[in-house]
Amino acid sequence: MSENIWYVAIERAVNNNIPRVKSILERHTYISDARAKLRQAKLEVLSNLKEYVDMTMESVRRNGGNVYLAKDGEEARSIVEKIVGDKNTIVMGKSMVAYECGIRQHLINKGKEVWETDLGEFLIQLSNEPPSHIIAPAIHMTREQASKVIRKIDSTSSAQSHEEIAGEARKFLRQKFINAEVGITGANAISADTGSILLIENEGNIRMSSIMPEVHIAIAGVEKIVPTLEHAFLEVMVQSAYAGLYPPTYVNLTSGPSSTGDIEMKRVSPAHGPKEFHLILLDNGRFKTADDPILSEALLCIRCGRCHFHCPVYRIMGQKWGDPPFTGPMGAMWSYVVYGDGKPSLLCAHSAGCREVCPMDINIPKVLERIKYIAQK
Amino acid sequence: MDNSVKQFLFNTMKQEFTPFPVDKSICTGWAEGEKRGGETILYTGCMYQLAPLSAIFNRISPIVSRMSSPQLILGMAKKVHPEKRELERSYKILRRISSILKKNGVDFGYLFEDEPYSGAFLLELGMLDEFEEYAKLVKDKLLSMGVKRIITVDPHSQNALSRYSEFFAFNIEVINYLDLVKDVGESRSKGTYVIHDSCLYSRFMNKRDVYRLILKKSGVSIKEDYMVTSKENSLCCGGPLAPVNDGLSSEIGKYRATQLKRVSDKVIVQCPFCYTNLSPYVEAIDIAEMISL
Repeated sequence: MSENIWYVAIERAVNNNIPRVKSILERHTYISDARAKLRQAKLEVLSNLKEYVDMTMESVRRNGGNVYLAKDGEEARSIVEKIVGDKNTIVMGKSMVAYECGIRQHLINKGKEVWETDLGEFLIQLSNEPPSHIIAPAIHMTREQASKVIRKIDSTSSAQSHEEIAGEARKFLRQKFINAEVGITGANAISADTGSILLIENEGNIRMSSIMPEVHIAIAGVEKIVPTLEHAFLEVMVQSAYAGLYPPTYVNLTSGPSSTGDIEMKRVSPAHGPKEFHLILLDNGRFKTADDPILSEALLCIRCGRCHFHCPVYRIMGQKWGDPPFTGPMGAMWSYVVYGDGKPSLLCAHSAGCREVCPMDINIPKVLERIKYIAQK
Repeated sequence: MDNSVKQFLFNTMKQEFTPFPVDKSICTGWAEGEKRGGETILYTGCMYQLAPLSAIFNRISPIVSRMSSPQLILGMAKKVHPEKRELERSYKILRRISSILKKNGVDFGYLFEDEPYSGAFLLELGMLDEFEEYAKLVKDKLLSMGVKRIITVDPHSQNALSRYSEFFAFNIEVINYLDLVKDVGESRSKGTYVIHDSCLYSRFMNKRDVYRLILKKSGVSIKEDYMVTSKENSLCCGGPLAPVNDGLSSEIGKYRATQLKRVSDKVIVQCPFCYTNLSPYVEAIDIAEMISL
């Protein structure tokens, strides 16, 4: 990708996104209260992380689900591999934690047929590129480039417009959803009291990935846990508003495998949806980070991706700043949290636009100052 | 920046109280007729005077660090002077600030060659242990000269000195000159200007409205644009990255200048490093060049 294409792509994204977020926040003023309440709830979890992980695991089991705590990406890959077993067809619903753990590539290496189903993620799978933004992984691609990439699934395609490109992906992936044996998603929020996961999306791919296959695996960092289901709803509201996608088209709530209570009110499982639900909670540096009073702020990040657009370094460097999927200001923090890489922090210009717009009020320049300090020790 | 260069600069700083080896007459050349010392001092940190040299230093330090004896080459920096035109500009700005403050009834002295650098770049590079060690030396030096109040003229010194108290007890008051400018005369500027906010002034010190009010009182015509000049959208000039990655720093400067030019081709800055990074790409004017009394 040339620098010129990046500048065109980022300018279009910024000019589409920033005014839209502003308008959403002005129209739905209750979001401001929601984010303050959510920050407090997340701080509570971080100060008692082990207890909340235990509570979450107990709640998932109570719902008939399976739950695991993976210490790192390798253990997460191993757990996924065992769950998948000899099943072959897998659809994925844009999980950056799955990317962090290398789940897709691992399953492909094991001979499985694996498809990303989020359009952006699908495009970067086809072009064999890393994601360039935490919620818009193909943000570096212009429409013109996406048009070329989509021809990899149909060389005769003449799709040019945004709608036509989306249409080609829809046509191709419909069959994949129908045939999929396993669906893998992330989780935008996990409620400790009910063991539920919440997922927001607009495409419908996550709903299909989490409902149609017989097995649903969700993988998420432990920092996604919030005390109650009420807080989980707050998180998806705030995340989608600050991402500029409010109201989200779909909010998916999953509490264990599908079930029915239609005969004598006895709840039995499965019903029409998955017969197995697995939640993998990932540490991979998060517990250690939670113990540092300055670094732990990074764990409050709800992955709205807003900080990227207000950062001069990201506007120039794009996906080259940070370790994918963690790019931009939040990515400079998270590259250290999960990969132990402090180098991206050294490029922070402490411009603080990120801090200005962060819904969780994370003092990102302060966190990066701390990482700079550690990286140079 | 290479570790050997960082260590060399840190050692130089502790001995000479300058950010890099420098002829101190460069820093003091503006101050003829200024009162020496006193409880309240006007503090330049030699930032305006050295900004043009810093740009050269940042450009050559990666090359020098690859040589067998970088210290020898870097030590020769003392023999380098900024271009006369650039130095005169910085002196004019400092004299203007001094004059405006005096006309606003502020009494102060200047420390001349005894003025210590603030240690700002150690802080901004995340060298926090070195910053603390150096800042303690600065504190002792200032106290030994009886300083009780510091008036800064740039955002980086203001930020660094204000943060001393995060590391140790620091009872010297630190205030920025913009907060002391109450009366200003009519500006002779013509046309419409766009403000490029210093990130430190705007988002760390909440001074956006302070200098906007000064410019308004001066009758300067300012054009704002939400996507370019608002608190959440105005971008950095790239200056703080120059010691780390000079190429990236310049790219950011060029990008920012392009944004600003969409609003106006005349840009007001409040920081010598913003000027250095933006002026190759757009006409930049320091706020002190815009105002008078």
